[in-house]
Amino acid sequence: MSTDTRSDDGGFGLTSPLNWLETQSEEVYAYVLLAPAFLLLAVVAFYPLIETFRFSLLANELAAADPFGEFVGLDNYVALLTGNTPFTQQFVAVSLAEGFPFIQFDAPFLQQAIFVTLAFAIISVLFETTIGFGQALVLDKDFYGRRWVRVSIIIPWAIPIVIQGMIFFLMFNPTIGFGTDFMQWLGVFGSNPLSSSTDAFIIVLVADIWKTTAFMALLILAGLQSIDRGLYDVAKVSGASPWQRFKYITLPLVAPALLVAMLFRTMDAMRIYGLIDATAGCETVPSLTCLVIISLESSRRWATASAVAFLTAVVISGFVVAYLLALRNSNGGVA
Amino acid sequence: MSDRRVDDAEPTAVADGGVAEGSAGGQPALDETADEPELDRGLIEAWAAKMISNPDRAYRATFYVATIFFLVTTLFPFYWLLMVALTPRGSLSDVGVLTPGGFNPIAFIEIFQMLPFHRYVFNSFLIATIATVAVLLVGSLAGYVFGRLRFRGRNVLLLAVLVTSFFPPAAFFIPLNRLFNRNVDALRPLISDGSLYNTPYAIFIPLSAIFLPLSIFILMTFYSQIPDGLEDAARVEGTTRLGALFRVIVPLSAPGVATAGVLTFISVYNEYFFSSLMTDGRPGSWAPMLEGILRFQGEFEVLFNLMAAASIVAVLPVAILVIVAQEKIVSGLTSGAVKE
Repeated sequence: MSTDTRSDDGGFGLTSPLNWLETQSEEVYAYVLLAPAFLLLAVVAFYPLIETFRFSLLANELAAADPFGEFVGLDNYVALLTGNTPFTQQFVAVSLAEGFPFIQFDAPFLQQAIFVTLAFAIISVLFETTIGFGQALVLDKDFYGRRWVRVSIIIPWAIPIVIQGMIFFLMFNPTIGFGTDFMQWLGVFGSNPLSSSTDAFIIVLVADIWKTTAFMALLILAGLQSIDRGLYDVAKVSGASPWQRFKYITLPLVAPALLVAMLFRTMDAMRIYGLIDATAGCETVPSLTCLVIISLESSRRWATASAVAFLTAVVISGFVVAYLLALRNSNGGVA
Repeated sequence: MSDRRVDDAEPTAVADGGVAEGSAGGQPALDETADEPELDRGLIEAWAAKMISNPDRAYRATFYVATIFFLVTTLFPFYWLLMVALTPRGSLSDVGVLTPGGFNPIAFIEIFQMLPFHRYVFNSFLIATIATVAVLLVGSLAGYVFGRLRFRGRNVLLLAVLVTSFFPPAAFFIPLNRLFNRNVDALRPLISDGSLYNTPYAIFIPLSAIFLPLSIFILMTFYSQIPDGLEDAARVEGTTRLGALFRVIVPLSAPGVATAGVLTFISVYNEYFFSSLMTDGRPGSWAPMLEGILRFQGEFEVLFNLMAAASIVAVLPVAILVIVAQEKIVSGLTSGAVKE
């Protein structure tokens, strides 16, 4: 498979394929130029996606050399959704139930993962949008040192996930970090927040908001700067207060850019894995992607892992469709 | 403006009339030095009165407070990380919020002695560079086609590119993992055991594909803005179609290419999912930088100060890249999204 990829753009420097290309129609030329991109996408995205779905319909084979057994249809999905999949980490449910009042003691692991992922995505995107809007409004002003303020706001977005995790891992480490003491002083956290599900969830949330708010800010800033400044002058002359200018000009005009930014962030937030793995660990805060890795590595249930992976994709596409509908409505409203 | 100020000032002057009357001669002077509050007002009260009489000042104050708040919240974690890195191992529990628990920068040397951390960083750099080159090459061809050519199926193909960026990496991982662990005889001359696991290929092939859509969108935007006449002129001069692309269109869109390159490099360097799963974590197996940092969680003792020092070393390249190329990052992120 992968050998094909390389040999494809191998004919690059040769003259005869180039001459052949010159004589073809624009349409053929277009398809030829698209071939490398689609070969890459086919090998890494399209083919694996189909394979993942096929794997998810096979049985788990725990002992044999090949981890997949015979065709079992939708059994893996049924077992997952009814909570009958025996995850080795099932005991985690106990510590989860202590931490999360809203999770039942015997809730199936998958439901916990879906809950954690959705809660994380929704809460983080809401906070990031609000704070990012604030940052965008600051960056939209022209002031001395704006360049440097912008750099320092972008930097958290550009750092590796493992380092983001490391910062918050150290900060909330009971021995060296000040975060635990501070939160305990507020009366919120327990003595070792990174091993308690609720506390660790909040830490992961804060870490994500710290890092990715800048992304929201930049996208919203682009929306802000596309607004015609003349509108503000007109509003000023008619005596609108800055708050009114924000409410009646900025907000409606920036709404499409805002929704696009939120769509991107939500998709990204629902893939959360690295941050959790580097701070609290997948057993403490199980997201959907975590569940894929747990069922793959610790219990060798490849078929179940495939089913979880495919379900994750389904949940995300559900969100995408909802957003696209909202986006279309908001465009219709403006036009 | 001044009318309103008088209106605001008058009721208060009446309210604490006793004092105001005592300095009756000063009453006209109040208008001239209107920014000064009456003498008997408390500091906060006076400040509030100023804000009410002059809302613009209130908005400006909010602006400065917000700016400082954002600066502190984004930069403080890095400062604190440095404090941890500078603390000697014995006194790590003394790290304060603003001060280190001692001073010993030896951690920045120890990270290279205890583990070949430089090798991990090199691996990351190599993988990110190869992925960037691959994405720019493949993405240039695709971006050119989507940005400048008309052909049947354009929208369907563009949608297919977009859709791949919706799916979580986990949905691709299991088949890829099997594929890369399989021993392919054709690869034996290149790689000792014939499987791609534990080679840079296992990381940069998936990551190139995953970050390809963003680059295609960025390059598409930039390429479509080049006037047709320039390309036609080059063709009349006798260049081939591909020659026109790489000699005229790509150089003219240099800012766009740089943008796509910077974003791809940062994304690959920062990636966690494939980077942590496609190697066994040894530096000789092309494990990237993140494995190096996590390795300082040693078997007997967690080396907090070394983790912090390693994080600072690994963050420096991207931090410098952001400072140098911030305009590119901003324009790239926004054009990639607006295209949607």
